[in-house]
Amino acid sequence: MWGKKQEQNRSERNISGCGSYQSPEVWAKVTGKAVYGIDLEFPGMLYGKILRSPHPHARIKGIDLSAARAIPGVRAVLSAQDVHCNPYGIVVDDEMPLAVDRVRYIGDEVAVVAAVDQKTAERAMAAIKVEYEPLPAVFNPVGALDEQAPQLHEDFPGNVAWERDLIRGDPDTAFREADLVVEDSFSMPSVHPAYLEPIACVAVSEYGNGVTLHTALQSPDLVRDIISRALNLSSSLVRVIGPVMGGGFGGRVFGNLKLYILSSLLSMHTGFPVKMQLTREEEFTVGRPMIAAEINLKMALRRDGTILARESEIITDNGAYSAQAPWVSKTFSERNDSVYRIPNIKTRARLAYTNKVPTAQYRAYGNQSANFACESLMDQAAKRLNMDPLELRLKNCTQAGDTTVHGLEIKSCALTKCLQRAASEIGWDQRKSGRGYGISSGIHANGSLVANKNFRGASARVTLELDGRVNVFTGEQDYGQGAHAAFACIAGRVLGLEPDQITVYSRDSLVTPFSQGALAMRQTTIGGRAVQVAAQELQKAIIQKASEISGEPVSLENGLLKNASGRLIELTEVATGYHHQTSGLNLVGEGKYVPPASDYDETSYGNISVAYSFAAHAAEVEIDKKTGAITVHRIVAVHDSGHIVNLLTSRGQVYGGVTQGLGMGCYEGYLFEGGRVANSSLADYRIPTALDVPAIDQVFIETEDPEGPFGSKGLGEIVMVPVLGAIGNAVADAAGVPVTALPLTAEKVYQAMSGGECSK
Amino acid sequence: MKKQTINFELNGELVEVHTEPSGSLLHLLRGQLGLLGTKEGCGEGECGACTVLLDSQPVNACLIPAAKIEGKQVQTIESLSNGDTIHPLQESFVEKGAVQCGFCTPGMVMSAYALLKVNQDPTPVEVKEAISGNLCRCSGYKQIEEAVLDAAEKIDQGSRED
Amino acid sequence: MSYIIASDLNQALQILRDSKGQARVIAGATDLFLQTLPAELVDLAGLYETTQLEETGGLLSIGSAVTHASAARSLLIRSQAAALAEACAMIGSPQVRNIGTIGGNVANAAPAADAAVALVALGAKAVITDIAGQTRVEAVEELYAGYNRSTIDSSSEIIGRLLFKSCAAGEGSAFMRFAPRRALALPLVNAAARVRVSGRRIEAVRLVAAPVKPAPTRLFETEALLQEVIPGPEIWPKVEEAAAAEVEVRGSMLRCSEQYRRHLVGTLAGRVLKEAYQRACAAEGGET
Repeated sequence: MWGKKQEQNRSERNISGCGSYQSPEVWAKVTGKAVYGIDLEFPGMLYGKILRSPHPHARIKGIDLSAARAIPGVRAVLSAQDVHCNPYGIVVDDEMPLAVDRVRYIGDEVAVVAAVDQKTAERAMAAIKVEYEPLPAVFNPVGALDEQAPQLHEDFPGNVAWERDLIRGDPDTAFREADLVVEDSFSMPSVHPAYLEPIACVAVSEYGNGVTLHTALQSPDLVRDIISRALNLSSSLVRVIGPVMGGGFGGRVFGNLKLYILSSLLSMHTGFPVKMQLTREEEFTVGRPMIAAEINLKMALRRDGTILARESEIITDNGAYSAQAPWVSKTFSERNDSVYRIPNIKTRARLAYTNKVPTAQYRAYGNQSANFACESLMDQAAKRLNMDPLELRLKNCTQAGDTTVHGLEIKSCALTKCLQRAASEIGWDQRKSGRGYGISSGIHANGSLVANKNFRGASARVTLELDGRVNVFTGEQDYGQGAHAAFACIAGRVLGLEPDQITVYSRDSLVTPFSQGALAMRQTTIGGRAVQVAAQELQKAIIQKASEISGEPVSLENGLLKNASGRLIELTEVATGYHHQTSGLNLVGEGKYVPPASDYDETSYGNISVAYSFAAHAAEVEIDKKTGAITVHRIVAVHDSGHIVNLLTSRGQVYGGVTQGLGMGCYEGYLFEGGRVANSSLADYRIPTALDVPAIDQVFIETEDPEGPFGSKGLGEIVMVPVLGAIGNAVADAAGVPVTALPLTAEKVYQAMSGGECSK
Repeated sequence: MKKQTINFELNGELVEVHTEPSGSLLHLLRGQLGLLGTKEGCGEGECGACTVLLDSQPVNACLIPAAKIEGKQVQTIESLSNGDTIHPLQESFVEKGAVQCGFCTPGMVMSAYALLKVNQDPTPVEVKEAISGNLCRCSGYKQIEEAVLDAAEKIDQGSRED
Repeated sequence: MSYIIASDLNQALQILRDSKGQARVIAGATDLFLQTLPAELVDLAGLYETTQLEETGGLLSIGSAVTHASAARSLLIRSQAAALAEACAMIGSPQVRNIGTIGGNVANAAPAADAAVALVALGAKAVITDIAGQTRVEAVEELYAGYNRSTIDSSSEIIGRLLFKSCAAGEGSAFMRFAPRRALALPLVNAAARVRVSGRRIEAVRLVAAPVKPAPTRLFETEALLQEVIPGPEIWPKVEEAAAAEVEVRGSMLRCSEQYRRHLVGTLAGRVLKEAYQRACAAEGGET
């Protein structure tokens, strides 16, 4: 645990001087007054419900809506024929708001109802008659790539949603010349972010004035663009306003586009606000979990432990529609290659359409699940070389100044120190017998360019209000991870104000600057830097205006404006002076931060991100040899996320991310029976409870990154990356044999220990 | 469906409602009574977001038929604070960073509140057990546990000073 | 639908009589929303008769509406029927334990209900009264008509209480479960045992495991291995083997394979017997 003294030292080193500041919204949350999506109510509001396909794959032969429309209280019943929309998607446009002639998974949206209350909407749904002609379905991604497999989308022959063949360097020669080649196969099921609040939204359409969608999103501006395309609406006629968000973890970057589009359509058809929300079961069955993956991994090494090459053959499971699966597959297939100095790479990755729930992403974008495989193979290599796994990592790990095999330019990196510290904290040199120990390294990009390489930065607007307070307008969303508190600290530091004198606002696409949003660990680094620049612009404007007023040069230090003769000038005086002079304007600083030329070529080679965070985690576990049951005793998380802007919220990120890693490592994963999700409840999809979480010790190694605000780097996603490898390796150490399929259940460990086949 | 009249004590006040007896207490609170602080995360008793106290015991409001509360006391998160004052637990939750997305927080606070009512000096394990029916996806529970222990200390000090 | 909170057992029976099969009794009602609702519900949760916990003449009587939480907390149950206290402490979550009842755990007839497994190991009998005023007393394991189906007709019968002999000198009981998570989890396997010793020799033993059959299942062959035996270290592997061999279990995608569940039955049987045996030995010589 954090010693008190240690904590104090770190607080003192806290550069922005507001080590535990939190946004005032926290008081609304803790008193039960915060308004979430599920709490929204509007006058005249209708309730929307979706009729879903019971078949994994079927042709729709006919839909009869007449009985449903005749029910009193029903305001709209729509099927694909009643709406005029464009195909839409995040990476590829492979979805329609309602199934046109074919359904592709159990849960596919067929018709939608709006009624005066939930019960009436449910009755209307039950009154809709749909005639289906079942088609052969395919559930296994490997099978889906077979020539004979049923085809899901005309535009994607062979069910290939995305693929990649990549060679960097000369892997074939490296494998030929290697002293050792290790190889193993790993599998990871789909996982759900399992944010605690199911997605809910209210769409409010106004005649001639587009649609306002009230829903909590990590990237509201990106969603606004997709909705406007799908609905054929001008993008400035779609407005997204965010209530408080009950957790996101990547799952609410794009949220549930279907729900937003359908509620908008219903509102446009009825003229009333329409609320829609997913049940917990729907979250699992028609939400957007992260891709499942199968990976065969090979690594070539020299006898001294130098890694020569890595080769991977990957098949990821897309489900019926693509969401973010191609991007996640890409991160899955390559990010771990940059943790170590691996000169030669060969990757073949294919993403296959199957008749199952469509997939997207989860905190860390597949980097964490690949970490499990890559780091297991590192340990297997160490074992074969008779080398300490720590030593093997230290020998190969990436250093500041490196350009990695994929072209990432590493400007700051404390991975070596992270590994050493993780090892010393876990007691690597005094490992107890009867326990298993594992260590793992991770890298994660800060704001990678995967979404749009022409839009790599962020902007912000900072205003001086008449009362001397400051408002920050940003498109970067806060849902409890502390982004807004960090921005208040950053702006406060520039302007010499306390963070509580600054209000940060982000939740209205009409008002706040466009942003990529809370994804790819970009908010504090990139968004924060924009806030810093905007605050600096405001500072300049204040000084200039104050000089004009006082007729002599003015300085602004520690929040105090002073002219050359030493007179103090109040901020309110400057603000009001300007306000009167301009008949109502406020002093504004607008700032942008565009990271230095980062780009990539057609093979994706290049510096995709402004900065890279690093971490090493170590785990100590115990296995009940009789049952295979794992007890995780301790996890040490050592992070290089540059300077830590806010210690309290940073600690929260580490605790939470490590716990999610534990869940993914030991408990979670979709189970399918045919195409049906078998564990679609929080009883059967088990996330860790308070009794399941081990001791988590955390250390921050604070490097100085040249690009982040005050040298800081992202933290929110990398916290969940190395923990998978660390737990996997600790379990392998205790069991004496690697278990290569997530999650590491007691049964799989038991089977692996007894030499059974079930470890896969 | 036939409605029934139910009398009970809600946050210290006697109330009478006319409602469907088999509707859940959660929907009664959030719908008819407009108390939105109690959250619904699953509706199946598997997440604890809807935890309220029924005669001082934490229960999942989503599993309680409304008619069951006849003559009983129900306490929700709304009872712990007003515009001026806040419960030490809530203060500690904020100070210790125990609130991230905040969706589990009302239920979590109610479970902790019930614990501190019967156990003023809980051990870390007792705290874990008391909140083991409340899922939190953000925090890994650590700062929540710190907050509950911190509040216990505060309350203890407060009572000694009184 | 109407919902009536009964004021005593007689009134509850009267309502059942009057409703002619349209009413059903409930207590904690934790699973109510999973079921189709009857026309009338009669709530027994707060009745004096069904919430008493007492010991008279070596006989423990537990009201059917005693909650899991109060059973787990009860000093009487913890000392006289440790298996039941341990089982009740592991059910669901604190919130569910505060409303779920022991009688409900039995009447729901789930195949691996923790409290029911402990009750069968303890040798508990249910006292059931019907609308005709007849009272029958039946062993808990006899109350299962099939998976999740009880022989008790909740539209005409009420479990009033559960009765069993408290663990006296030389007796011990224990309960264990194997679950994928430490809270909010259904067990893959659970097991309970009650053992009586005299001079460290086992005189009587009851071993129960679930889910094996619809009802918590006695493992008679394994029990026989221990009869009149002073167990040494060599016996436990044999016990585990026998227990695993004795049961027919099913695998399921959500829980575990048939093979692994069988293995767990063996392991838990050995562990729970050993624990119950050690407690029995510790309780020899008048300690209880």
